[in-house]
Amino acid sequence: MRWFFLVLALAIVTFVVALGPRGAKFSDPPFELFPDMDRQYKFKSQKPSHFFEDGRASRKPVDGTIPMGYSAPLNKEDGVPTSALDFSYGEGYYNTGLFGDYFGSGYPEELTLDQALLERGKQRFQINCTPCHGESGNGQGIVSKYWLIPPTANLQSDLVKALPEGQLFWTITHGKGLMGPYKGTINVQDRWAIVAYLRALQKTSATTAAN
Amino acid sequence: MGNLFPRWTNLLPVKILVCLGALGTAVVALAWYSWTPKFTRVGYMPQQPIPFDHSVHAGQLGLDCRYCHTFVENSPHSNIPAAQVCWNCHGPGKVKSDSVKLEPLRQAMDTNSENYTGKPIPWVQVHETPDYAYFNHSVHVNRGVSCVECHGRVDEMPVVYHAKTLSMSFCLDCHRNVDEHLRPLDEVTNLAWEAKDEDANEFYAKIAGKGGKAEELKEADADKTWDEKLLGAHLQKSWNVNPPTDCAACHR
Ligand code: HEC
Ligand code: HEC
Ligand code: HEC
Ligand code: HEC
Ligand code: HEC
Ligand code: HEC
Repeated sequence: MRWFFLVLALAIVTFVVALGPRGAKFSDPPFELFPDMDRQYKFKSQKPSHFFEDGRASRKPVDGTIPMGYSAPLNKEDGVPTSALDFSYGEGYYNTGLFGDYFGSGYPEELTLDQALLERGKQRFQINCTPCHGESGNGQGIVSKYWLIPPTANLQSDLVKALPEGQLFWTITHGKGLMGPYKGTINVQDRWAIVAYLRALQKTSATTAAN
Repeated sequence: MGNLFPRWTNLLPVKILVCLGALGTAVVALAWYSWTPKFTRVGYMPQQPIPFDHSVHAGQLGLDCRYCHTFVENSPHSNIPAAQVCWNCHGPGKVKSDSVKLEPLRQAMDTNSENYTGKPIPWVQVHETPDYAYFNHSVHVNRGVSCVECHGRVDEMPVVYHAKTLSMSFCLDCHRNVDEHLRPLDEVTNLAWEAKDEDANEFYAKIAGKGGKAEELKEADADKTWDEKLLGAHLQKSWNVNPPTDCAACHR
């Protein structure tokens, strides 16, 4: 009896020591008690697939189809469908910021310039641009201090103030010089919202930029 | 004929029962302790191809989660950023571009590098719900549920680990008492937010809507403590938040 309890206690201790307490850090994939349908063979976002040759589970839309959530183009010439979540690389001023080979100025007619757009632009600007260009766009954002090659462009400078809207849009889309492209992370409408907010920011002085 | 059962055997059945009881209790207790997501999942901290540090990027530099996890507001799936996003800051001539830690990034992006492959960085997924349960980030994030509720203080983690259980009871605990977990929409990615950071006048103005009830609401709350629960209850009412608890909502 005494021996039994001694052995039992020892077994429990080794068990607990081997497994560790709750919340301890470990790096092997978690143990699944009943793995019945936990991992199904289906396509998931950002996951590889063994089915397609290129190994991607995400497929490009088939020619001539429109993904769900997108609206049909108004006329055939417009080409690519537009929607609020559009990242399209389509034609036209709205999608490129260009008229022919030149940067356009002013805003595309697809856009309604209102308070909501500016609010959106402010939020997106603070997420995507302030790290480098600073809250007021003066080029003194926190990350700019770590860059090997200064300076980060001052968006309050007369140079940038003079740039047409289309060029600002194009810069966000494709980047410029050291600045990387944001076409993969900011959708078309938000890019225009940022341009609109940036214009508002340039009008007000740097200190009252918040409104 | 001798004594078939010597005297010491009288206690044997009792002893066996006691031993079996002790063994059973021990096994149940250990299973209780270790066969739940609290044990099997919390603390999962896989080795990532690049030692990416949220406490530097999100904490120290103050990058918003949405700079990288861009589509968390629009999509059920919160994306891991493409290598291009890192490249915007860690490309040639930029931040720490020669760091050895960033070698996998150069393999993915730097066409001049001899090891260039162009393949995505193989990040290891930390949080993963079973495939029979449906989860959607955008519904939660657009209803004022912060990342911190389900992922812990990521902005203080040098390496991301599984901080909460994300088990079914965890989901339901919130769905049943949602008022303790809501916050204003612009604070969703501010993991350090507390009720006392919120300005009372602005808050009431935000939830009052067009009718101009802000003053009334404020007066009604005059002797209540200003905490997350009070704010959450107001938000729940003004957005009409009503999380589902029927099985078909998550097991569809
Ligand atoms: C990773 C840091 C970084 C981020 C984030 C960033 N930029 Fe830039 N940006 C730069 C740098 C550096 C330059 C200077 C590029 C050069 O001249 O080589 C620049 C240049 C520019 C210019 C061009 C100025 C000119 O002289 O033509 C504009 C316009 C601009 N940025 C706007 C933006 C907007 C809008 C955002 C937010 C979507 C943004 N940037 C986000 C780093 C950044
Ligand atoms: C907005 C700019 C920015 C972005 C985007 C960014 N980083 Fe960084 N990162 C930094 C800065 C600034 C530092 C340096 C901090 C320091 O010196 O203490 C840094 C440091 C690092 C380090 C440590 C390097 C070393 O040698 O100590 C690693 C690793 C790293 N980042 C990985 C990444 C990865 C992976 C991504 C993409 C998901 C990424 N970073 C995106 C700005 C950025
Ligand atoms: C500079 C880009 C960047 C920023 C900013 C950032 N993250 Fe991440 N995040 C990553 C990368 C890259 C990974 C994948 C590598 C890893 O797990 O460490 C990741 C992983 C994660 C994961 C684990 C994902 C999984 O596999 O389950 C969570 C949760 C997370 N991030 C939450 C956040 C939150 C919350 C914030 C805002 C406070 C944030 N992140 C800000 C780049 C970023
Ligand atoms: C209500 C709980 C909840 C909230 C709030 C939440 N997440 Fe998640 N997150 C999850 C769950 C559950 C998963 C696992 C999803 C899966 O298996 O696909 C996850 C997965 C992730 C992943 C990994 C996705 C992958 O496939 O690698 C990232 C990154 C992430 N979350 C970031 C965030 C960020 C950033 C926020 C805040 C803006 C956030 N989450 C808010 C519950 C939540
Ligand atoms: C911190 C609080 C919280 C947690 C934790 C939480 N939820 Fe929710 N959930 C909500 C809120 C708030 C809503 C939105 C209800 C509304 O819009 O009326 C919601 C809505 C949902 C919906 C309905 C979506 C739809 O399309 O109608 C599903 C499904 C869901 N949650 C699944 C989950 C799962 C699965 C988990 C666990 C991984 C989880 N939730 C964890 C707060 C939470
Ligand atoms: C809020 C979302 C939600 C609701 C509502 C919900 N579940 Fe779940 N359920 C989950 C999640 C998430 C898991 C996965 C838990 C885990 O990761 O271990 C789960 C797991 C389970 C499992 C465990 C399967 C296994 O092998 O471990 C069963 C059984 C289950 N659910 C049944 C139900 C039933 C019955 C109902 C209705 C009374 C219900 N669920 C309602 C989210 C939900």
